[in-house]
Amino acid sequence: MRKYIAKRLGYAALTFFCVVTVVFFMVRLAPGGPFDSMRRLPPEVEANLQAAYGLDKPLIVQYATYLSNLAHGDLGPSFKQKDFTVGELVSRGLPISVALGAMALALALAIGLAVGLAAGLTPGSLLDAVLMGLSNLNIAIPAIVVAPIMVLVFAVFLSWFPAGGADSAWHFVLPTIALALPYSAAIARLTRSSVAESRFEPHMATAVSKGLPRRRIVVRHLMPIAIIPVLSYLGPAVAGLLTGSVVVEQVFDLPGIGRYFVQGAMNRDYTLVMGVVIVYSGAILIFNLLVDLAYAAIDPRIRFD
Amino acid sequence: MRPDLKWSDGTPLTADDFVYSFRRLLDPGTAASLAYFLYMLDNAAEVNAGTLPIESLGVSAPDPATLVLRLARPYPYLLERLLYPTGYPVPKHVIERHGDAWVKLDNWVSNGAYTLEDWQPQAHVSMRANPHFYEPPAIAKVRYLPVPNEQSGYNRFRSNELDVAAGFPSGEIATISRDYASALRTSDLLSMMYLVFNVQKPPFDDVRVRQALSLAIDQEILTDKVLRSGAKPAYSFAPALLSDYDSNKLPHVDLPMDERIATARQLLAQAGFTSDNPLKVTLRHLSGLEAKRVNLAISGMWKRVGINAQLHQADLKTHFSDLRQGDFQVAWAGWVGESNAEHYLGLLQSDIGNVNYGRFKNTVYDKLMQQALNEASFEVRNSILSSAEAVVVHDYPVVPLYTSSVRRLVSPKISGWHENLRDMHQVRYLDWK
Repeated sequence: MRKYIAKRLGYAALTFFCVVTVVFFMVRLAPGGPFDSMRRLPPEVEANLQAAYGLDKPLIVQYATYLSNLAHGDLGPSFKQKDFTVGELVSRGLPISVALGAMALALALAIGLAVGLAAGLTPGSLLDAVLMGLSNLNIAIPAIVVAPIMVLVFAVFLSWFPAGGADSAWHFVLPTIALALPYSAAIARLTRSSVAESRFEPHMATAVSKGLPRRRIVVRHLMPIAIIPVLSYLGPAVAGLLTGSVVVEQVFDLPGIGRYFVQGAMNRDYTLVMGVVIVYSGAILIFNLLVDLAYAAIDPRIRFD
Repeated sequence: MRPDLKWSDGTPLTADDFVYSFRRLLDPGTAASLAYFLYMLDNAAEVNAGTLPIESLGVSAPDPATLVLRLARPYPYLLERLLYPTGYPVPKHVIERHGDAWVKLDNWVSNGAYTLEDWQPQAHVSMRANPHFYEPPAIAKVRYLPVPNEQSGYNRFRSNELDVAAGFPSGEIATISRDYASALRTSDLLSMMYLVFNVQKPPFDDVRVRQALSLAIDQEILTDKVLRSGAKPAYSFAPALLSDYDSNKLPHVDLPMDERIATARQLLAQAGFTSDNPLKVTLRHLSGLEAKRVNLAISGMWKRVGINAQLHQADLKTHFSDLRQGDFQVAWAGWVGESNAEHYLGLLQSDIGNVNYGRFKNTVYDKLMQQALNEASFEVRNSILSSAEAVVVHDYPVVPLYTSSVRRLVSPKISGWHENLRDMHQVRYLDWK
């Protein structure tokens, strides 16, 4: 087990390094630079700016400096938001993005597992057809469509919720739902098919013949097996939640780090883009590792030796 | 200077603070991107390039209430230029104590009517009245919400979370004029949206081709039928909104459209482009709905004179980076800014650098521009600029399209909001009704 974790951490570190390297050079390949605009910068000003941000040095030197700063936890200055460092921007936005992502994941799991279980226990029934129909609809309509409609209906017309901002828990209700919906549907579909299949596993027959109560059979014998595909989906789901939050944060005006991703790229704010990429890829790598470890904890048939 | 000026921590604000601030702005170590805004000061460019010591900058304070600016050459628009943040003072006593951290919330000191209360990036900037300001504002607390897009600001205005929204999606103008008529504020913005020809690239080195493309464009249709945002058609490169300046309109502006189209076809034929050999053009523009609609309409107008135009869009950085590198045939461009003609006309000077995207050059024009730049009298300077524009208008280096408008939503509860060409609205002059 320990060996397995060490190996996985090694791979994760290598992946992380590759991501940082590729993104570092890719953002610099995009046309235009952080200080370009419609206006003209005199050569003196341009030279001063290049020197102040180290952009006058060869690319490979900039890369080495960046890696060395990164190793010390320094994400560098933002090229555009000059009153904050990238570290400050990320550390203020991250709690909001994490809260949004965690709540959306919890909601998606709650809805998805409940719906999937209800449908999977009675496959082919009317309930199954209705629930799966709704789920398909949820998957088909992306957050970029649902979220603006939610703002219009629940904030602008009905005034039940604020249209944007993150001043209170109330502000997170709509974005959490908008972000969770497609994932809840995917989880529901996975759970449904897995539950429907697992009902015929030999150990289920044993449990039924032992005369165990139905509730106990479902919770102790059916769910641990049925949940495995859902668990493997959580890795990509977290990645999806992160990128999905880019859209949802824009629509609901949440000051998370998702907005920096788009803004940073449009502004050629190299360090800010890097900072967000580092947080995202770190989160995805760690979460995938946790998911793999959770397999072993939940399914007694899986061991990492 | 007023004798009663103070920083929000009570420290007196003197002329020395301004000397310090202007020197700091031009110090190469500060690396201020807008340092060139004060290049009219004596030795400013040299100080900024690091070839002269900071002390040689043309700014001094003979006594605490007197600031003397020494200019490298006449600059009659100085007072307007000083309205930009590059002309504001920074607190020497705070910067010397805290270094780069002087902008942090705990160290923040202001000399305006308000001072910083809280600042969460992307979330809000909160300000309260500065107790040391000489005239207390009527509104004691202000919160700015940076919204990610116009739609979001519009939503938050409609759900009463905002009293003023800096903009709204242009498609909503009809709804707003109906439902929020008392809140809608539109005003002209000193600006110029135009098409620029790359005169280095054939066939756009041929003035007949440029003239034909210009003749075919109906500016009024762009503003009244396509944009419908309050933008005004432009027929001269220096905006007609400029005060005390005679702008020079395109020579064909009074001709009826049929005649313009016929002339355009003739000119194209003379340049070798006929229906068998039509002119093919790539028109580059900024991405975004508004720019897309305008440029689509333009390509339609060109179609009428037998030109096949292809649209090519890109984000702001890419677009202007390509333009500066001369990587285009015809491109949409925009310029927003000051209330003087040379701010616009300067873009066509051959020595201005790559912001003269089309690399246009006319030696007579260049000479007149140089002459204007050395003239101290506002009237004489403007009349020389006007004659320079009169020369260049026959070369068709650009097609003026329209001057933009700004659209704001201001709650009817607020008084003291006045439209102005620079679109400056200081909160200290606002009040609750």
